[in-house]
Amino acid sequence: MKKDQNLARLLVMLAVVFALMAALRPGQFVTMANFGSMMRQFPEYGIMAIGISLTMITGGIDLGVVGTANLSAILAAKLLIGAVPRGAPPEQALPFVALAALLALACGLACGAFAGLLISRFKIPAILATLGTQQLYTGIAIGITNGRPQSGLPLLYSNLGNTEFLGLFPLSFLIFLLAALAIGLMLSRARFGTCMYMLGTNPKAAQYAGLGNASILVRTYMLSGLLSSVAGLIMMARANSAKAEYGTPYTLQCVLIAVLGGIDPNGGFGKIAGVTLAVFILQFLSSGLNMFNSISNFYRDVIWGGVLILALVVNSLLARREARLAVRRGARATRA
Amino acid sequence: MKRTLVVMLSLILVLVVAVPFFGQTYDPMKFKSSKPQSAWKIALVPKDATNAWFVRMEQGVKRYAKDTGINVFQKGPPKTDAAMQAQVIEDMIAQGVDAICVVPVDPAALEPVLGQALSKGIVVIDHEGSSQQNCLYDIEAFSNQGLGAALMQVLAKSMGEKGTYTTMVGNVTNASHNEWADAAVAYQKAKYPSMTLLAAEPRVEIMDNLDTAYQRAKELFKKYPALKGVLGTSSLSTPGTARAIEELGLKGKAFVTSVGMPNENAPFIKRGTVDAVMLWDSAEAGYAMLAAAVAVLKGDKVANGIDLKAKGWNSMQFAPGSTKVLLGQSWINITKANVDSFGF
Repeated sequence: MKKDQNLARLLVMLAVVFALMAALRPGQFVTMANFGSMMRQFPEYGIMAIGISLTMITGGIDLGVVGTANLSAILAAKLLIGAVPRGAPPEQALPFVALAALLALACGLACGAFAGLLISRFKIPAILATLGTQQLYTGIAIGITNGRPQSGLPLLYSNLGNTEFLGLFPLSFLIFLLAALAIGLMLSRARFGTCMYMLGTNPKAAQYAGLGNASILVRTYMLSGLLSSVAGLIMMARANSAKAEYGTPYTLQCVLIAVLGGIDPNGGFGKIAGVTLAVFILQFLSSGLNMFNSISNFYRDVIWGGVLILALVVNSLLARREARLAVRRGARATRA
Repeated sequence: MKRTLVVMLSLILVLVVAVPFFGQTYDPMKFKSSKPQSAWKIALVPKDATNAWFVRMEQGVKRYAKDTGINVFQKGPPKTDAAMQAQVIEDMIAQGVDAICVVPVDPAALEPVLGQALSKGIVVIDHEGSSQQNCLYDIEAFSNQGLGAALMQVLAKSMGEKGTYTTMVGNVTNASHNEWADAAVAYQKAKYPSMTLLAAEPRVEIMDNLDTAYQRAKELFKKYPALKGVLGTSSLSTPGTARAIEELGLKGKAFVTSVGMPNENAPFIKRGTVDAVMLWDSAEAGYAMLAAAVAVLKGDKVANGIDLKAKGWNSMQFAPGSTKVLLGQSWINITKANVDSFGF
């Protein structure tokens, strides 16, 4: 009940932002070109936001997503650049593209597993552990590339990555939808999803119930790492290169999306549907604001931050009101 | 199941072949706009919206809008980040702009999105991105040789065209700093025979740090009493070295110049310790980029000597062997006369 209300609130917000932009910039905002552009933009950070959301549901956080994404992409890029000669025909490049993608995904899993181990075995608070892994992964990425962009990927890779289905839906958008759907179903239907919520609600209780907290945590962070590496592969296709510092500001943005989407930073609550709506809201705002030439760039951050804080305050106020109502309902029930 | 997979894969392959290839060359003459000038819309995308350098650039953009009446504006990413810059350009393409002027954070990362812009007939002009493939022209404020020679002219004038000098770079790994310094030394050898490069330490590194510049300069002047001049490349060379000169009582006997910011150097210039530092103005660069975009939209031929109507950008020359990279002479000597007129 409570969570559905959250979704309804997000839908209203999405509609308000959409209506506002559509009313103020009708010829620009409600166009195929704009929607195509937005669909190409949000998957890379949207997928990382889903990853962070998962870790937040278990009461943790993963600040290492961008580092994981870049390190995975750099490994894949190194393999592709090394193995495929320049100008090689697509048939020759295809197996290496697949291999590079697998390598990136494996790297994502390993990065996540390491963070999960730090948190579950060494009991380091997630925020510190992943601050460390972010630094570490970015550091490794800088080290093996000397900080330079890895470019010269086979044409096939970026062509594949920028494929548009039916001339409209970019591959990255479909991957985002697939990831959101799969993770959403896992959380609501699978046993593992329930375990994550329980661990996030009360780790002690989960432990005494014999859920195996350590294993759940490691697997959660592995999932987050896996999603990050997918985001890394998408960024690599969009930039036609990989670099240790692409998308660094995304970390904070993803945390904000998760919170805006109704993921409880204290763990135990939140749905991927909410996160997906939050991603849309932020992309509408971002692309919409770029249409106002008169809004100085200085105010962009103000508007951005203002909307987020407003959403957080509204969420908190409504949650408090609901709690009060629940108490009153409880009192009435006892009287009766 | 297997069949769907095969169908899917072949579908992907067909689409792949249909996607236009990146890295093709475009003929700038084909980008002439058929729309009236009043309907043009040109976006300038800087590295970062709030960085002082690009805030200054926006003043050039506003001046261009006022001078020509063309709808030009500046929109940048909130942070200096290649991925976010690509997204802003993505938005500009979707808005249907006629030209995009860009100062790339990382040219390689923008190739796909700029390729997309070009394939849609949008004019793309780069600045400080000479390695960019997917642009019609890249305009640079100056050639490395030109700046090096200009720096040497300033130092030689201060030193009375004689005596020992050395060069000071931000980092020895910084390619452009080293090229400026090399060009300055070459210019000295050709033009000022009575000047000599300090053989023991011909290239001093200050790690792009003001305090290191000060310490190193102090050390150098003590160690080599014959040393009379420092030619710096990093903007921190002059304030650091000038402080050392003043503290050692060498004012009027030892000299320094480098690329530098007006406010940072104002006290030394006003006291006469430093004669001039050099700078190029981002507002002029912004103005020139827009002028280049408009030239292409008008269908004007871009050739050697083209005037981009901004100070120092009046006679652009193609870089040797290039038909894309255009070089200007856009540096300003910042002296006592104009040091307070910049506001930064």
